[in-house]
Amino acid sequence: MIRLLLHHTEPAGRRPLRWLLLAAGLSLALALPWLIYPPVAMDIVTWALFAAAVDLLLGYTGLLSFGHAAFWGTAAYTSGLIAIHSGLPFPVAVLGGAALAAALALPIGYLCVRNTGIYFAMVTLAFAQMVYFVANQWRDVTGGENGLQGIPRELFGADLSDPFVFYYAGLPIILFGLFCLWRIVHSPFGHVLVAIRDNPARARAIGYPVDRYKLLAFVLSAALSGLAGGLFAISHGFASLQEVYWTTSGKAVMMVVLGGIGTLWGSTLGAALVVLLEDYLSTSGFNGIGLVTGTVFVLVVLLFRQGLWGAARQLGAAVSRAARRPAAEPPPPAGDAPAAPVHTTSTTSR
Amino acid sequence: MTSFLQQCFNGLVSGGFYALLALGLAVIFGMLGVVNFAHGAFFMLGAFGAYLALAELGIPFWAALFLVPATLFLLGMLLERTLIRRLTPFDPLYNFLLTFGLTLVLQDAVKREYGVQSQPYPRPAELSGSIDLGLFDYPAYQVFVLAAAVVLCTLVWLVLTRTRVGMVVRAATERPELTGALGVNVGRWVTPVFAFGVALAGLAGVLAAPMRAVNPLMGADLIIAVFAVVVIGGLGSVFGSVVAGFAIGVAQSLGNLYVPALSQTLIFIIMACVLLWRPAGLFGREEART
Amino acid sequence: MRKTTRALTAALAAGTLLVAGCGRGGPGGDAGAKVSNDKIVLAVLNDQSGVYADLSGKNSIEAVKMAVADFQAKYGDKAVSSDIEVVSADHQNKPDIANSKAQELYDRQQADAILDVPTSSAALAVAGVAKAKKKLYFNVGAATTELTGKQCNKYTFHYAYDTYMLANGTGSAVTREGGKNWYIVYPDYAFGQDMEKSFSTAIGSAGGTVVAKDPTPFPNDNFSTFLLKAPGLKPKPDVLGAMQAGGDLVNLVKQYNEFKLREQGIKLSVGLMFITDIHSLGPDAFAGTTFTDAWYWNFDDRNRQWADRFTAKTQTRPSFAHAANYSAALQYLEAVQRAGTDAADAVVGQLEGYRYDDVFARNATVRAGDHRVVHDVYLAEVKPKSEVTTDWDYERILRTIPAAEAFRPESAGGCTL
Repeated sequence: MIRLLLHHTEPAGRRPLRWLLLAAGLSLALALPWLIYPPVAMDIVTWALFAAAVDLLLGYTGLLSFGHAAFWGTAAYTSGLIAIHSGLPFPVAVLGGAALAAALALPIGYLCVRNTGIYFAMVTLAFAQMVYFVANQWRDVTGGENGLQGIPRELFGADLSDPFVFYYAGLPIILFGLFCLWRIVHSPFGHVLVAIRDNPARARAIGYPVDRYKLLAFVLSAALSGLAGGLFAISHGFASLQEVYWTTSGKAVMMVVLGGIGTLWGSTLGAALVVLLEDYLSTSGFNGIGLVTGTVFVLVVLLFRQGLWGAARQLGAAVSRAARRPAAEPPPPAGDAPAAPVHTTSTTSR
Repeated sequence: MTSFLQQCFNGLVSGGFYALLALGLAVIFGMLGVVNFAHGAFFMLGAFGAYLALAELGIPFWAALFLVPATLFLLGMLLERTLIRRLTPFDPLYNFLLTFGLTLVLQDAVKREYGVQSQPYPRPAELSGSIDLGLFDYPAYQVFVLAAAVVLCTLVWLVLTRTRVGMVVRAATERPELTGALGVNVGRWVTPVFAFGVALAGLAGVLAAPMRAVNPLMGADLIIAVFAVVVIGGLGSVFGSVVAGFAIGVAQSLGNLYVPALSQTLIFIIMACVLLWRPAGLFGREEART
Repeated sequence: MRKTTRALTAALAAGTLLVAGCGRGGPGGDAGAKVSNDKIVLAVLNDQSGVYADLSGKNSIEAVKMAVADFQAKYGDKAVSSDIEVVSADHQNKPDIANSKAQELYDRQQADAILDVPTSSAALAVAGVAKAKKKLYFNVGAATTELTGKQCNKYTFHYAYDTYMLANGTGSAVTREGGKNWYIVYPDYAFGQDMEKSFSTAIGSAGGTVVAKDPTPFPNDNFSTFLLKAPGLKPKPDVLGAMQAGGDLVNLVKQYNEFKLREQGIKLSVGLMFITDIHSLGPDAFAGTTFTDAWYWNFDDRNRQWADRFTAKTQTRPSFAHAANYSAALQYLEAVQRAGTDAADAVVGQLEGYRYDDVFARNATVRAGDHRVVHDVYLAEVKPKSEVTTDWDYERILRTIPAAEAFRPESAGGCTL
């Protein structure tokens, strides 16, 4: 029954393309610090995981969270504290951060998932602001507005001070996170999420405990955001209030929308775009970063709701259609669109 | 006892701003199903408009009180016609995102032009003294702000309940499908209602200019608190937003005095409790949540 | 890419060495070879669009360029390097961007020293980078005492001001001048808490009493709660000490005037105020308020002459941060000149314990123990508009606080370099 609601069943002929893209993406991730300045490359991949985790909620569950900075930031502080006080290898610290982010997501998610749509966005935003105020006041733990400074990068005594080397030490964590997301999206659980997104009433009628599914998705998304946030703190060597501020949540959502809602890989493109833009503007002498990103964002929402990835996919489908048409294949009857995966989940449902 | 009453009065004054902003949000949401993230930016534009009117054109406070909201009304109409309307066929989240982007643009445009420093705006001379409220003296301007907020909220309430326009808007707010089915043309009210909400935020901004720091970021943090107020009152409920606005103002003010460590988080703790007890807000209905 | 860059750098370095070897025979010739990449690069990393843009921002780059010009004019051919470059980046008040940019400035732009860096989290993050890269860093824009406290390091120097200096100067001077009873309101986060502690200590040791102190929410736009409470306190406070900054300070001052506390005999003393705050709101909003300033352009002829040169370039009057960036850049170049090389350790050696006197830093010493640059600072009062004679003429200097008293004692910070 549920499978009828799905549109992620792809024609078998597209499989090789998918593997090709995966290989291309993987080699790009490996080559990144050769192409751009390594600390910026690190920022791109950490933000990519964060944005993809936000997309798990927005694109696949239909929940727009405007408060994911709470989880990214909590994990950043937690990983930092573990690294500073325990001297454990940094992947352990990052996992610890992700675990605490998940633990925080449980009560917040419990209160939030009963709401949907815009209500959900507002409530998550408000809770994240609460976390921000707590972090600001709890200076013994977070260092207040000075931030939590001097976070070490420990990995069995290896010298990770070169950002070029650290990129390769941190990349497996990012790839692990992205792999988890990919597995979740393509698991039966992920399919139920999509069904809930498209028609919650129907999913409930079939007998799925909708709220519990949404809560689990929320906690998973928070944990993976935490994975990214923890690594971000280790890579920069500090965690600051910026990490729990609402603009950070907004930035992640912006990346998802730019890349394409519900495309997972699009989020990585969106992250690369925003990080590179910020990096470029900081030395360009043009002091209106919000003006640029805001305008681009407004234009994308107005005109390219499928985002970069969605647009590319649409283009790819059109090209392959055009390529196929001159062949023996009869033209499709009017009104019957070919079954190419042009569905870009452009509506996130209510 | 006097100090307790004074605190309540302080709370009502800041609550007045919450109420005016929440009211605008509620009316817009009711009519369009859109939560306007840019509401805080319009509040800022109102205050900046008052400052510019005085500094560049010599327009005094009393005239700005009408001219600035009128200008913002026009801006609101323009935005609704050119941007918001294009996204109404889609999921309302897109309009939320759109207004988020708009906030960044408006804030940064003002920032680039006038910097982040606060701009000066004097109190109107007529209200520079203080008023004896029986138990204590209170600055006249603050009393005026409170009175203006109460009068405005009452006026909006009267318009919504006593006039034909108001009935249509209220019906559309609370039962949109049914209203449409009854043959009422809801569409023609969409633009003016959005513009009205924007103008109301602008008016709150003008009222804030003489007593608060006028700078491009003045609306950014406020809007999140107002979101919490709206969630507490119930998103679909005009009455709920106003009551919650004043109540939260008082609660925060008393919190400042008695539990200073919690004063910032108090509003969100209240929100969490309300969500546990009544997920749709104090005065909201279940359907409004989706 | 990395390899090619490295190869390119090597080739360039070899090339320039060759040119330097052949082309120059003068006295400066062999000194030039001791400077890395044959040039000195000063990097200004600060906020060019946010809250610190007016206080420091792009005009600090001009100030640093002035220092380079003055240095070159002074030494001419004898300068340690004829090629001195000034680069800059905008950290947008975000510590993560500050952190990445600082690495990039040291690594890619071959910066020998980074200057300014407002916002305490960004400032401390860059200190970490300076320590790791073993390159110099002069912080001007941030107020946190951590830079010369527990998080100090060998390559980081703190210029201009910090929370201790602000609080100690105002707290003790105002108390000595008769403001015995204080009511302190401070924003409830690290900066405010530090300010409150330093103020209370300074007031106590100057013979005053803190009648009451209250944390206020941050950010906050309604201070009525605290302003109403003030006149009713027993004993009635003489001074309201406000530790708020930026927009919150503006809110508080507006409401202080509304509740007519000055008329009730309660003066206002402010922890952190910049001349740019006074300029934006107009002097009347702050008239009579006392605060500590690290430098004031209209203090004496020496300052006025420098300010005039600055104004000719930027069309605005300098804040203390502009003058401090000028001074930090100049003293760095002087130290390189004395060392004969830009090798960081040698320059640090030249700076530590150095005593000097320049347009910004009077009776200055670079403390060897914590790298705090101590110098005279000033207790200032905001003039009413009626007494303002020229543009930006907002302050009356009540007294000079000597360098030895102005800053936290070296032993109190817990710094081990």
